[in-house]
Amino acid sequence: MAGTTSLIPAGDFRTSYAADTTIFPTVTSRNFAIAGIVLAACAPLILSDYWMSLLIAIGIYGIAALGLNVLLGFTGQISIGHAAFFLFGAFTSAYLSSKMAVPTFFAIPLAGVVTAMVGLVFGLPAARLKGLYLAIATLAAQYILLDFFARAEWFSGGSVPASAEPFSIFGYTLTGDHQYFYVVLAYVVISFLLVTNLMRTRDGRALIAVRDHYLSAEIMGINLTKYRTLSFGIAAFFAGIGGALYAHYQLVVSYEGFGIERSILFLAMVIIGGLGSIMGTLMGTAFVVLLPEAMEWLSALLRGGVIDQALGLKNNITFLREIAIGVIIIIFLVFEPDGLAHRWHQIKAYWKLYPFSH
Amino acid sequence: MKTTTLLGSAALALLLGAGSALAQSAIRIGHLADYSGGTSDVGTPFGQAVADTFAWINKNGGINGTKVDIETVDYGYQVPRAVAQYKKWTGSDKVAAIMGWGTADTEALTGFVAQDKIPFLSGSYAGQLTDPTGEAGKSKAAPYNFFYGPSYSDALRAELTWAAEDWKAKGKSGAPKFVHMGANHPYPNSPKAAGEAIAKELGFEVLPPLVFALTPGDYSAQCLSLKSSGANYAYLGNTAASNISVIKACKTAGVDVQFLGNVWGMDENAAKTAGTAADGVVFPLRTPVVWGADVPGMKTVVDISKISDPSGNAYRPVHYIAGVCSAMYMKEALEWAAKNGGVTGENVRKAFYQKKGWVPTGMEGVCNPSTWTDKDHRGTLTVDLYRSRVSGSTDGDLSALMKSGAIKLEKVKTIELPRKPEWLGW
Repeated sequence: MAGTTSLIPAGDFRTSYAADTTIFPTVTSRNFAIAGIVLAACAPLILSDYWMSLLIAIGIYGIAALGLNVLLGFTGQISIGHAAFFLFGAFTSAYLSSKMAVPTFFAIPLAGVVTAMVGLVFGLPAARLKGLYLAIATLAAQYILLDFFARAEWFSGGSVPASAEPFSIFGYTLTGDHQYFYVVLAYVVISFLLVTNLMRTRDGRALIAVRDHYLSAEIMGINLTKYRTLSFGIAAFFAGIGGALYAHYQLVVSYEGFGIERSILFLAMVIIGGLGSIMGTLMGTAFVVLLPEAMEWLSALLRGGVIDQALGLKNNITFLREIAIGVIIIIFLVFEPDGLAHRWHQIKAYWKLYPFSH
Repeated sequence: MKTTTLLGSAALALLLGAGSALAQSAIRIGHLADYSGGTSDVGTPFGQAVADTFAWINKNGGINGTKVDIETVDYGYQVPRAVAQYKKWTGSDKVAAIMGWGTADTEALTGFVAQDKIPFLSGSYAGQLTDPTGEAGKSKAAPYNFFYGPSYSDALRAELTWAAEDWKAKGKSGAPKFVHMGANHPYPNSPKAAGEAIAKELGFEVLPPLVFALTPGDYSAQCLSLKSSGANYAYLGNTAASNISVIKACKTAGVDVQFLGNVWGMDENAAKTAGTAADGVVFPLRTPVVWGADVPGMKTVVDISKISDPSGNAYRPVHYIAGVCSAMYMKEALEWAAKNGGVTGENVRKAFYQKKGWVPTGMEGVCNPSTWTDKDHRGTLTVDLYRSRVSGSTDGDLSALMKSGAIKLEKVKTIELPRKPEWLGW
């Protein structure tokens, strides 16, 4: 996106196309990425269940948000039915693992593929519609899918939540957050590598071209219908993967709590993280997951304290908490319209150039 | 210098030791409440009752002399928040039990509580929570889920049993028509299959269900369909605010139908909001009596109520009393566990199986006798049906309205359902 400062040292020129499209511009950035993964892999050794559950949530929602970022940030299409695809993946994986006896190891990617198929179907209007019209069309996807879950008892269990088998590999069942974290971590690494790689390919560039100027893209010979629909498929694929991971983490799947507000939350993750930024997606998800927890922690401090007693807040603290979450997001968007990824880039550039930045 | 340092560290060590000893001796339990979210209208009295009851227990000697360290968290009816809070409670210092709330948190945590062996006493009464073994084959086993009161399905079964009698008593001929109304959502759908099945058995003609959203809105269209379908008995599956919209719209449309409410769908506050439109709605209660009844147990409830209302003037709706009952069962389960091997999740679960026809001490006449077994978590099959009576304006304070009789809850009938094994789990 616009205004990013390059961190490549002066005099370091690219002499081939391959070098120009490398994932990691410098050796340090690659080492940092590897160190980050190693650090994450060590997290279960020291962190409690609570923190592990938050990391798992960031991972699961991060994968789904990544799919949405491909659609929204890279292709310039919009979807406000992402939660329904997430839930579809969850139900599919639960169905495959508990009713069809597919091992969970295969059920998760399979759920992603099935959800991608559904995404392709619901992406068809994108071939014709743009902007707000497309938003409304995807809103229909949200409602159609939710209604399907409510009626298709064989698939979703209807009013009884569907049960999903715990994740097992080679006959060993993973239990608890500390073990399941590694499954999520593996999927996060694979998903983010996949999308990073996708953006280096011909197809990835075609998606970006569609976003930047669809008419020019079409004149250059890019099949708009194909790429717009494909983008929906990719978005749904990652939503499905995220949902499947969610199903095997929770062990039960209910369509309670996956309404339109959850779809909006996915949009918030992508926008806060930074449209068209892969690492930003993870930052945005972390922000959205951790903000309510941070506010809960703050309100717990406030409860029973001096301010609480002076103002007689009592149960109103929880309302204040909700208001504060909204206000923080607004303030954030006002001061960081380019998202967390942009700010992160600026911080890096600052230290890189310190003390001679200007 | 050295001596003081030594003394100081010794004192510190003692303090720390004492501190941890104290921390160990208190019984930790979690409490999920909704005071600010989508179900706060009924979540507030229920949650307040649970919080009040445990405060009252601590004031009156605790659990065999041990204080209960209850952490009440308003999770705003949001699944991720309930899960995160649950993980906090099940870390190194595990809670012995959790007082839960609605469909959202109960369903999201069913898998976890079974895995972690933590009894979860919910305000969700979905039928699938009553099958601890999964042998009924209707749903997955829910060995650590409990609740006090009839399940949503059993409540509707009782209402339809009454409706069939009512139809005969009124001397009407032909088959009465029954319709299930509600959103396409786990909560209203929960008793749908059970209701339609028993309706057929009882000789009702079952009409196709009518859908209306969980939120308040304009439901004139649904009322016109209801009118043209000629339904005689309509079950309202949603929560209060949305049900009120329908009742009001149907009154305007002039629909002549007997509405059957659900346990969270009608109460004193809802009757006040709906006004005269709520007149005549029949709905199930979890307790045989309402606030102010002349039964021995009501004295305890009044005492507990004074925890959050020292003046003693507040009128407590039916959900408050049900919340007190739920918390009192948990109290006695904790007591039994403390005496029989320590307060762990597994022992608390066992404690629920110890008594038959169990009424917590001091709650006589308020809580219906309940029996839980390791094969059947239908605590009670007694359903007390009430009818709301609204005469005149419902402006003003609820306690004044109840006193003046502008709003009345009158008992219709107590239905004792048979404990049929084929009704377990749905």
